[in-house]
Amino acid sequence: MKHLSMAALIIALGFLVADAGAQPADPAYSAAGLYNLANSYARAGKPGMAVLNYERAALLAPTDPDIQANLNFIRSSLHLPQQDEGGFSRVARLVSPKIVAWIGVLGVLAAGTSLLLGKMFPRRRAVWIAGLCLGIAGIGFTVCNAIVLEPRIHEAVVIAAATPIRATPVPMGDPLAQLSEAETVTITAGHEDFVLVRTASGHSGWVARADLADVVPRRSVR
Amino acid sequence: MIAVCIAVSTSAVADAPLAYQTIQPSKIVMGESAILRVTSLDSELQNVRLPEVSGLAFEVLGHTRQMEFINGTASESSSIVIRVTPQIAGIFSIPGLTPKSQPLILEVNTDRNSGNLPLTLNGKAPSPPPAPTPKTGNAAGIHFVADGSAFVQLKMPKRAVYVGESVPVDIEVGVRPGVVTSLNGLPTIKGGDFTLNNLSRQPERQEQILDGKPFLTMTWHSVLAAVKPGDFSLTVDTPITVKISSRPSEDEAFANLLGGPFLQNFYSSIVPKEVTVTSQPSDLHVLALPANGRPADFSGAVGAFKVSSDVSAVQMTAGDPVTLRMHVSGAGNFDRVDSPMLDRIDHWKTYPPKSSFSSTDPIGYKGEKTFEQPLIAAQTGEQTIPGLSFSYFDPETRRYQRAQTEPIKVTIDASRADNSLKEPSGPANPVTRLAGRTGVGLRPDHVLAQNFAASLIPLYLQPRFLALPATLALLLAAGLLVLQRAPRRVASKATERALAHLGAVARSGDSSTFFVTARQLLLQAFSERWRMPLEKITAAELDTRLGNDAEDIGRLFALADEAKYSGRAADGADVAQWLQIVSRQLIQETSI
Repeated sequence: MKHLSMAALIIALGFLVADAGAQPADPAYSAAGLYNLANSYARAGKPGMAVLNYERAALLAPTDPDIQANLNFIRSSLHLPQQDEGGFSRVARLVSPKIVAWIGVLGVLAAGTSLLLGKMFPRRRAVWIAGLCLGIAGIGFTVCNAIVLEPRIHEAVVIAAATPIRATPVPMGDPLAQLSEAETVTITAGHEDFVLVRTASGHSGWVARADLADVVPRRSVR
Repeated sequence: MIAVCIAVSTSAVADAPLAYQTIQPSKIVMGESAILRVTSLDSELQNVRLPEVSGLAFEVLGHTRQMEFINGTASESSSIVIRVTPQIAGIFSIPGLTPKSQPLILEVNTDRNSGNLPLTLNGKAPSPPPAPTPKTGNAAGIHFVADGSAFVQLKMPKRAVYVGESVPVDIEVGVRPGVVTSLNGLPTIKGGDFTLNNLSRQPERQEQILDGKPFLTMTWHSVLAAVKPGDFSLTVDTPITVKISSRPSEDEAFANLLGGPFLQNFYSSIVPKEVTVTSQPSDLHVLALPANGRPADFSGAVGAFKVSSDVSAVQMTAGDPVTLRMHVSGAGNFDRVDSPMLDRIDHWKTYPPKSSFSSTDPIGYKGEKTFEQPLIAAQTGEQTIPGLSFSYFDPETRRYQRAQTEPIKVTIDASRADNSLKEPSGPANPVTRLAGRTGVGLRPDHVLAQNFAASLIPLYLQPRFLALPATLALLLAAGLLVLQRAPRRVASKATERALAHLGAVARSGDSSTFFVTARQLLLQAFSERWRMPLEKITAAELDTRLGNDAEDIGRLFALADEAKYSGRAADGADVAQWLQIVSRQLIQETSI
């Protein structure tokens, strides 16, 4: 009994610490704020910054239909390819990542507690097995969501018009092609003031870091 | 009009057997054809591979054989006759059809009045047309070859020059049309202490009358550079082919009197001969560059230069590359004009510069060299790009000079990405440019909620949050480990609690409750020990599993039944005895 009390105390402290980590700090993001900002950029004729903020808003509120609608509208206006998500991605992003995170924590708690109580009170085995399955399901859902969202951390949006994509990471490097403003690329490496990107069509090359903006701001990436 | 056939030879072999090709006429107009004749004097010519020249069509007309008697010796030659028909106008170079024959030049004009076309190869890059009327000149000071058919002149400044300095020179080659049949190579300077750079490919052509004889004069402009100091005497060699007569003059006159193509051919004594024309020596005094006062950044540039600098933009965003340019213009040896530009400056990222040269004359003596260096600002605000310097040696003043550009002020704005969370600058335009394209428009703004996140990274990927499930998992794993290692202790504690409860009942004197409770405890203990439901524990099962103790336990169960249904109670001595029996069974169960 004493151990259980201690464990409950530690868990409560953990929740407090984790919740403090999720408290607003500077800068603080909100899906609505980012969405409104993206609308402002779109109205000002800055599609790169608009798509960037829509993408950021979609990270916080993946199920918001307005964000997806405006994002698709901007992309179709610029004749950019739409990002088609598979069924796995859609299911994994049914709820916001914050809720998914807590589902994962509860899953760990449910699974572990079920195992523990099953050892202590083996007669109610069915109840503990159900709890264990529930916990594993919660953990699995969180892991799937992480697999879907993790690549987004390395994505960036082109915020300058006619951005050259070069063969070498120097300003005078031979340009291979041009990236359209508002195009989304994946950053795979960096060198000084340049990053190696891969486009949706599979092409790779070096782009000046100043011409891109990370979907997840770099100072947030620890 | 002068019909001269000039063959340009890239490799003249002095002792090669005589095999030559001629073209007649060497200048035609569109719609006409020329006859290309390949002649071999030492072997019979079989078929030759027709050349491929863009704009010319070749057709073999036939083979001919000739026999000549020179000084009583019979000489046989064979020829292939080829018709050359132009498809476009221009000047064409026809390569040698045999390894021993020289290339030829065919000039094709659009019409008769178009005059001489400049000497270009295969219709490319025509140079300025020659003077329309021949110039009359004085042959004094010109050094002719022995028969007066050609001359070469080297024209250069009389002053002393410096090592590495580019000295513009003119090389003039004059030939007698009809006497000189081909020019077998470009003029070359004699001696290894000089380099002759940028010899213009297309010479200026001019018709001149020298001492009453017509000459075609070709002038090449070039740049000469000395590689070491000293006094030198320079000459220029030019290989040519001339027609010479191998018979005495009286025989030649007799052959002319004979008339008729056969007899003229029989007595023909004109044969081609390769000779080298050499210019008169020109003296040149070469000085070494002074060691005193030589700047550390001097790269060997000698001449008269001016410098200026600019940037591609004076206002930019942090992270955007800006190109700093330095322009070095003037006259001199631009191949030695070099600058490291800016190596390292605070708050800027510098990249290696690259240079390009734009010449304003054909020989690269005058022009402008531009150095371009990309820079990337690392700090916002007003920045100053320092001035650039360039050192060179001026041969006029005979001193090293240092040219300096002015510093350039630029303004660096914050990065667009850093401003991504700020409202767009400028007045908000309700009529959107993007929305206007389709007419559908954007969905309206949302009401701001008080729901903020510190980071866009999903919570479950933030290390601080990940500490929570990790701690939970560790705690639960530790609990499982404790349970795995100490199951007896847990059981013994439960047993202690059960016996304490049973003892309390016994002490209260309620024997009926005691027996009922004791039976319940034992059944639970047996159920867990034997892993079977309570209802399946029968008397037979007790006999089988408990052995000698089965009788006592059966008696206790009977007393419990009796107490439950009849209310009969045993005395206190009985309760104490039964408490020991129960305790023994439960402790035995725990120790298993």
